[in-house]
Amino acid sequence: MASYAVADRRWIERGVERTSTLRFALWLVPWALLLALGVYAAGLCLRFGLNQTNMDNRFPFGLWIFLDLSIIALGAGAFFTGFLVYILKFKELKAVLNTAVVVGFICYSGAVGILMIDVGQPLRAWFTFWHPNTHSMLTEVTFCITCYLVVLLFEYIPVLLRNRQLRRVPSFLIFEHRLHLLVPVLAAVGTLLSFFHQGSLGGLYGVLRGRPFAFREGIAIWPSTFFLFILSAIAAGPSFLLLITSLVEKVTGRKLVEFSVLCRLGRISGLLTAVYVAAKAVDTLAWLNRTSPSLGFAPWEFYSYKPFGTWLMLAEIVLFGLVPAVLLLHPKTASRRGWLISAALLVCGGILLNRFILTVQTLALPTLAFDEFVSYLPSWQEVASFGAVVAYGVIVYSLSYRYLPLFPQEKREGYRVSGR
Amino acid sequence: MKKRRYGMVIDLDRCTGCGACSVACAAENNVPPAAPRATERTGITPLRVQPVSNGASGPARREVFIPLMCMQCGEHTPCVSVCPQQAVEVDSATGIVTQMPQRCLGCRYCMTACPYHARYFNWWDPEWPAGMEKTLNPGVATRMRGVVEKCNLCHSRLHAAEDKAAAANQREVNPADYVPACVEACPTGAILFGDLADETSAVARAARAPQAFRLLEKLGTEPKVYYRSNRPWVRALAEPRTVPAKEVQRG
Amino acid sequence: MKPSRRNLLALGGGAMAGVVFTPLPWKLLDDTAIWTQNWPWIPQPARGPVEVKAAACSLCPHGCGLQVRMAAGFPVGVSGAPAHPVSGGALCPLAFGAHQLNWHPRRLHEVRRRGRAASWDAASMALRAAAAEGPVAVIDGRPGRGASAILRDFAGKSGAYITAPGPEERSLAPYAAWSGVPASALGYDLESARTIISFGAPLLDGWGTPGRFTRLWSTHAAGLGDPELRLIQIEPGLSHTATLAWRWVPARPGSDAALAAGLARVLVEERLVPAKGPVPATSVADAAGAAGLPADAIVELARMIAQRAPALAISVDGEPAVAALNLLLGGGIVQRRETAAPQAAAIAPRAVVIDATVPWEYEPASGAEVFRFAAWDGGGSKADWLLPAPGFLEEITEHPSAPGSAVASYALSPALMDAPADVRGAAAFVGGTPADAVLARCQEIFRARNGGLYRRGAKDAVPLASLESAARLQDELLAGAVWVDDPAGSRKVRCELKEWPAAAAGTHRGGWADAWSAPVLPPLATKLYQESNLREVPARSRI
Repeated sequence: MASYAVADRRWIERGVERTSTLRFALWLVPWALLLALGVYAAGLCLRFGLNQTNMDNRFPFGLWIFLDLSIIALGAGAFFTGFLVYILKFKELKAVLNTAVVVGFICYSGAVGILMIDVGQPLRAWFTFWHPNTHSMLTEVTFCITCYLVVLLFEYIPVLLRNRQLRRVPSFLIFEHRLHLLVPVLAAVGTLLSFFHQGSLGGLYGVLRGRPFAFREGIAIWPSTFFLFILSAIAAGPSFLLLITSLVEKVTGRKLVEFSVLCRLGRISGLLTAVYVAAKAVDTLAWLNRTSPSLGFAPWEFYSYKPFGTWLMLAEIVLFGLVPAVLLLHPKTASRRGWLISAALLVCGGILLNRFILTVQTLALPTLAFDEFVSYLPSWQEVASFGAVVAYGVIVYSLSYRYLPLFPQEKREGYRVSGR
Repeated sequence: MKKRRYGMVIDLDRCTGCGACSVACAAENNVPPAAPRATERTGITPLRVQPVSNGASGPARREVFIPLMCMQCGEHTPCVSVCPQQAVEVDSATGIVTQMPQRCLGCRYCMTACPYHARYFNWWDPEWPAGMEKTLNPGVATRMRGVVEKCNLCHSRLHAAEDKAAAANQREVNPADYVPACVEACPTGAILFGDLADETSAVARAARAPQAFRLLEKLGTEPKVYYRSNRPWVRALAEPRTVPAKEVQRG
Repeated sequence: MKPSRRNLLALGGGAMAGVVFTPLPWKLLDDTAIWTQNWPWIPQPARGPVEVKAAACSLCPHGCGLQVRMAAGFPVGVSGAPAHPVSGGALCPLAFGAHQLNWHPRRLHEVRRRGRAASWDAASMALRAAAAEGPVAVIDGRPGRGASAILRDFAGKSGAYITAPGPEERSLAPYAAWSGVPASALGYDLESARTIISFGAPLLDGWGTPGRFTRLWSTHAAGLGDPELRLIQIEPGLSHTATLAWRWVPARPGSDAALAAGLARVLVEERLVPAKGPVPATSVADAAGAAGLPADAIVELARMIAQRAPALAISVDGEPAVAALNLLLGGGIVQRRETAAPQAAAIAPRAVVIDATVPWEYEPASGAEVFRFAAWDGGGSKADWLLPAPGFLEEITEHPSAPGSAVASYALSPALMDAPADVRGAAAFVGGTPADAVLARCQEIFRARNGGLYRRGAKDAVPLASLESAARLQDELLAGAVWVDDPAGSRKVRCELKEWPAAAAGTHRGGWADAWSAPVLPPLATKLYQESNLREVPARSRI
């Protein structure tokens, strides 16, 4: 055992403290089990087909699409932090940049993994590249997400190669150095790609003329949800990063970044959330008064099916929008860790709620006069497959945190162990 | 060949809800019988008949049977623009919305886009009891698990009619040669089928009648499936519901 | 050069990169497109020359005309024969999937004795032994066939030849009792009726020949405010027929007799019909109480019925009071020109032979050894012997007059497929020669020289006299022609009714699935009950 611990120790960055090999292994065990269960469930879906899920012809999108949309929005912190650091020169955010890249990579690769199970014919995934329909929002999403995943990989590799052992391979070092020079370019490309696919994910629903609950008018070929999704994603990205960093600090008992960095993330998130809430409110009013009636649908009817009442709309805009925006922008609350984290939670919760409403409520609502309001509960296979993505995320992050210099400033004075 | 716009007018006052159209459609298109766990929400019924009541109780209660299939939307066709890999298209010569199962990835985005719920996903591998595959229609390929399918107005019958016209050196398809399976099967002759672009055709005239209507017309998708009824409450079903009625479904 | 770890790694990396520039990965990727549509476990239709054959449906006694599309020697599609004199081109939903039935998992392939495999010889010996010990009853689901004559002869004088009535014949039972004409030769004159009062009969939902009443209704009644043909449906629940009727009267269950009596009373008292025969003792108030309707409603209903003559009352379960009401209305019950076997006297048979045409539910009185012919095992049968019969389109089938029809008819359907090796029909099993019997039946029709022959798709009949022989008639019938008697050959049946009949306890409700006699449903029927909410799940739906 001891020799393992010694070997393990050699891979950990000099000058930082990490928990014992045994404790780390124990921490990984439950996540590995969850991952195994999820891989088994996903295997069932691949082997026997999507009848393993509780989706059906009336509910063709379910838990997976809802959570895919959510984690891609939350993963927006990756590109947006890169954009802030390299393009807008917010130097202090460099402290969370590596974490942002790892979180982004986990979110995107997880989402793509789930999508591969979610489609009925995964072997035909490449058809989209070979026979692309340029009018489809999903084509744009597929192209941008795939390209951006490659970008994220190239952003992740330099972090990976800075590992204490890998660094010793000279060619790796050179490769890392070359890549590092590319990072600002990658950040710019990533930003462009991300703007488009975040927007297209919103457009995914906004273009659905046949679903007047989701349909939105907009500018040129882009429905308003295109812009709302970009706004909400860049508003939530920093909040999610704030939450993840705080969580890691809490779990490891170490101070990893200056509180001011978290405050900075909070302020950015608050500002963007405020803009988002304003835009969302205008959009909602336009939809209520113009879009929906013009398609022959009385908008208030959409809210007459319990439990999807108007309270949801208000909760989304006020409780999960306006309230955290104020909390994050008001100097008193924005400088208190408790308030900061609560507000960030509300912002991220708002993203989940928004993606939930668009995915689930849109499909549950009737369109034809004689349709029923339909319901859907995911099967254990769906939940477990998604659990595997969470487990995969935790494992990849844990390994990255243990063996890679995610927080380079950690080695400096003032970051010494405050707890365990 | 001149441009056609194939469509139909379904007389809801003549539909007895027997379901012959639905079974004939399945047999023609090599749709498998239901998998053991399939339900009305996971089964494959490119044409299904929906019973709808007028919401009244007692002797005033009445029902209508609405055959539902792909409405062959002609404008802003919701399913066409969303497909990421061009597995759906509107045939400009016939107006038929075609689905290519061989091209389909199974992402089901088109299903969320369709306001008529006329698209069906193959949740199971198609299965027939041993030997029954001998009865499959040679004109239509079977579909594999994980792809979307829908009504294509019995495309194979159109091809057969076009071949026949070509063999006889005729420019136009003889309308009598191209009749979809459901139209042929209807025991009361409630479904009128033909070329809507031909102003003189029976179907075009019926579509112009004041009793004719289309479902969710205000969406602006220009469906080519019309319905007709003399009963005002039936015609009112064209619009989305304004008051959520608990009692809309049968039973 | 000495291989080192470094060389190997470099080699591997180089090879990986190099492969990308070969066609291999791209060909494999491209092939996924082919694999994913041609997985070996997905059945693909066989190719072969396509031809259309004329046939008739043998699933129920109505014998609708079929056009069967054949490819590579197997039926691949069924549709109605246009302008068919019996079915008018219409089919019930089940017929469209019937060509798949022969491969139904419940298909019988072997002789079974009380669930165990047995042989035809054993069955034959058992029947002979039983016949030596006592009388044999033979149950026939479709009387009027050549094969029926074989079965009747086999029952002989000491045995009994019994016909199993379908829903239409059950509804005609009172007239048979009052006229002495067997119900299997009686029919309804639906075509001349202007008002039809149906006591629960699912006229638009599987009652009678598909395409007979539904065509009348769709031409003369559907969607019209005041239709030429008024359908009044008296039924407790909103059935398919009730919702499509001109008027629906939700009367209490079991009140048909009282309501019919109440209506008769109003008709007679208000002199809405010429008074003849007995008058019921029931008062309108009593009838109203029993039916759960206001008395006014009954009076109004009676006036409505009398308004547009001729009116015809039909009961789903042969309620005598409804038949008496119909006689009062002068409703058209006709006797077809055909010789029908009189109902046999009740005997206690030693053995019972049940023909494959008899509905699966039919259970003979206990105590006898039962020989049941069937192509499919519907489950739950108490028969001692289960004998595999030819399935759909596997043998030449005869289609005598449809139950309840107004004119006599006869059609043949050719065998379009080979039957499995070990199946036999009842007529052959008891020693007859079905082919001879069919020819004999054709000779009978040919000699009588009545009616005419409707060839496929023809609107007009060819007179029988134009045919040179009975064999020629048989050939024509096998090619899809239908012999139909002259309508003038049917005459109104005369009923002697001394007193208003007492109520009978009828429980039968009829309907498409009920009327249908095969023990299993075509697999595609799942579209109706499992994959849509169009129908209740029928008991026979199990695969």
